[in-house]
Amino acid sequence: MIKESLMGEFQKIVGKENVLTTPEALKAYSYDATTSWIHEPDVVVFPTTTKEISEIMKIANAEKIPVTPRGGGTNVSGGSVPIMGGIVLCTTKMNKILKIDKENLSATVEPGVVLQDLTMRLAKDGLFFPPDPQSFLGATMGGIIAENAGGPACVKYGVTKQYILGLEIVLPTGEIINLGGRTIKNVVGYDLIHIFISSEGTLGVITKAELKLNPIPPARKTIMVVYDDIAMAGEGVFRVLENGVIPGKIELLDNWVINRIEEMMPMGLPKEADAVLLFETDGIPEAVEKETEKIVEITKKYGARDVRVAKDTDEANKYWLARRAGFAAVFGKAPTVMAEDIAVPRGKIPAFIKRCRELSKKYDVEMCILGHAGDGNLHPSILTDIKNKDQYDRAVKAMDEIFESAVEFGGVLSGEHGIGLEKAKFFKRIMDPVVIDIMKKIKALLDPNNIMNPGKIWD
Amino acid sequence: MEDLKELKKVEKYVDQCMKCGFCTFFCPVYQEERVETSVARGKNYLAKLALRGEQQFTDELGKIIGKCLLCKRCSANCPAKAQIDRVVVGARAQMVKNKGLGFIKNLVFRKVMANRKAFGNYVRLARAFQWLLPKTEGKIRHLPDFLKALGQGRNIPEIAKVFLRDIVKEMNKPQDGKEPKMRVGFFMGCATDFVYPELGLKVIDFLTKRGIEVIVPKGQSCCGAAIYFSGDFETGRMLADENVKAFKDVDYIVTACGTCSSTLKDYQKYLPDNEEQQKRYEAFEKKVKDSTEFVIDVMKIPPEEFKLKKEFEGKVATWHDPCHLVRYQNIKDQPRAILKGLKGLKYVEMPNADLCCGMGGSFSVYHYDITKKIAGKKMDGIKATGADIVVTACPGCMINLIDNVLQNKMPQKVYHLLELVE
Repeated sequence: MIKESLMGEFQKIVGKENVLTTPEALKAYSYDATTSWIHEPDVVVFPTTTKEISEIMKIANAEKIPVTPRGGGTNVSGGSVPIMGGIVLCTTKMNKILKIDKENLSATVEPGVVLQDLTMRLAKDGLFFPPDPQSFLGATMGGIIAENAGGPACVKYGVTKQYILGLEIVLPTGEIINLGGRTIKNVVGYDLIHIFISSEGTLGVITKAELKLNPIPPARKTIMVVYDDIAMAGEGVFRVLENGVIPGKIELLDNWVINRIEEMMPMGLPKEADAVLLFETDGIPEAVEKETEKIVEITKKYGARDVRVAKDTDEANKYWLARRAGFAAVFGKAPTVMAEDIAVPRGKIPAFIKRCRELSKKYDVEMCILGHAGDGNLHPSILTDIKNKDQYDRAVKAMDEIFESAVEFGGVLSGEHGIGLEKAKFFKRIMDPVVIDIMKKIKALLDPNNIMNPGKIWD
Repeated sequence: MEDLKELKKVEKYVDQCMKCGFCTFFCPVYQEERVETSVARGKNYLAKLALRGEQQFTDELGKIIGKCLLCKRCSANCPAKAQIDRVVVGARAQMVKNKGLGFIKNLVFRKVMANRKAFGNYVRLARAFQWLLPKTEGKIRHLPDFLKALGQGRNIPEIAKVFLRDIVKEMNKPQDGKEPKMRVGFFMGCATDFVYPELGLKVIDFLTKRGIEVIVPKGQSCCGAAIYFSGDFETGRMLADENVKAFKDVDYIVTACGTCSSTLKDYQKYLPDNEEQQKRYEAFEKKVKDSTEFVIDVMKIPPEEFKLKKEFEGKVATWHDPCHLVRYQNIKDQPRAILKGLKGLKYVEMPNADLCCGMGGSFSVYHYDITKKIAGKKMDGIKATGADIVVTACPGCMINLIDNVLQNKMPQKVYHLLELVE
């Protein structure tokens, strides 16, 4: 519990209307987009400036109060749940796009800017921020950076860390630091900025970011490729890449997901297909034409049953809408869904998918697979019910083996969601203890009182 | 444990939410406040806890579920198809049951509006004192909120000198003297009745000119929107039954108010307490048509056959989608077809045409500051079109649009779609 007198202090710093303490408000900040992690904070504070955040951190540090930074609350690993109580530091009111520099292809933003708002604003200048976590309608830039988020476009464009030029950060002790700058090249001392990108809010609060932007490609095309065997779809991914085409996106939907999407909103996906791959090519029109032809040719050569090139934007949008609906299709179908986000080297996708199917049989659990096949980041999802103990235990065992398989194939636990609470127990098991020790020392150096988003990653 | 009967009726929607937070992008209130209790996800989570007995029906909960426009943007864009607007209304109904209507403080609705005659007299009284209020150019057309909105700096438009109920005939035969093609019951709605009687006469003339018999039953009541959306289902049912009774011998029930048509259709969704009521309201729903829908889908008038009134020739028009048309009834193509078909009028689509204007019935009475901010975004869309006239088909929206056009010193005039045609 936080001393009553401190509430007055917080009110003095951010204004009375920006401090919430009613039981109802605390409940509304007890969750994020994960299913099972819930914990109420003692207070929710909405700062509007870096200085206010610094002052709050100083008090929290002196009083040893846990602080959980939070933006849109779309996290899917429990990272924004205040699991130790204390302060939720909510950045949603710091949502200004401060500057768009067309000459430098960069933008300066506050942490509470919602990605879709940024995308819409940048489009007016013919620019875009390539990393595209599919929570873009609610996800805020602070969280996107702290989680090093990615999405479908990462096969060609890379993840968030490749698009951050500079950061302003408030440390857990209240000091304000600036890392990086406004240039693409920067080798002045240790590359500390990347310790904060993917720190999951455990090292400091991101209060401002300088983003690297790209010009919007003038043309794009969508290709839907149908497979009778999902492993063949997995192979299709690396066959296209090794034959010299790097599409903007390559997404995978399995039979189960296709059928749920068709139930939700019939749009003519092939219901009998074992899997489909959705490709998007983008770039200058001539290149897009050529790359599209090449994808059609290669996928046909390597086992595709049917290849459809979307004839117009409407048809293309329809396919991408289906892909976006995939997530909802999965979550709407079971009381508890374990949706993971492992990543494997791309050549291992077919083997990994086969393994998932075997595990689904072995433990008799309902499983589906969708994901960003192009970068080897897949979302094997198990549908279960936490209230059905026997079934749930089997699901947990199956997921344990999925993680182990991912690592066995040379992959990682999390491609884009982060460790948070959801994967903490696997983290300890799979990471080198020496590396964990280094990470903990960095944490202790920056956050001596362990107040910054405690309970995440390794506890 | 508190009574949870009303909330239980919407439990299936409560469970559908997967907390993804996408509703934050679409919620006009969240967009202004950026606080979780403003948005569907937060409200739904509290409803979930209430169902588990972990959240009491506190005043604070009342305030939270009260702060919703019921614009349905969250539901329309929800990837899990969770209908959280239904949860909000269900929670309000539960609140009214458990705590009384006091939490919304809208006793005026129950006491005055539910009594058609008293309401009329009340409005007459208001008219007599109208000269005390600031003069405006537009007209107010949605009375439930008028009385409470005074004193907040809102532009209060003029109330009609003679109400439609006083001048309209109960039976209006087809003008050609032939056997009627069909019998239509005209539902006036407060706005058309008290503020805009000429619109009512206009619609009746339009229909009778085309071989339709129009009956305006004296027994009709208020549609009940402000009442049952506030959670007072008991009074809502009373009004619903009066209307069902008043319109029992017609082929269709037509109204020129988008909120009324949606409210009448949705009795079957919100109000039934038993199977008999369910059946009765469902049968009623099938006969209700919004005027914009009726002329296109039922009368099947080709859009190019509508004739523009002289005074609108050469004007540029844009269309505002009322929430109760576009999302409650999926009516969006019909009005656009009419506007695009009108020779002499140039139609321009506004950006975010389906964005709520911010009125939300009684919402704007209690949260006028938020209403103004939301309306500000609507005004930006209107400005971007360069239109001379803003056309819509819901008097609730019209009040708010008129108010904000004036406050922003914009040149646009606001009209009901049917005011434009001969």
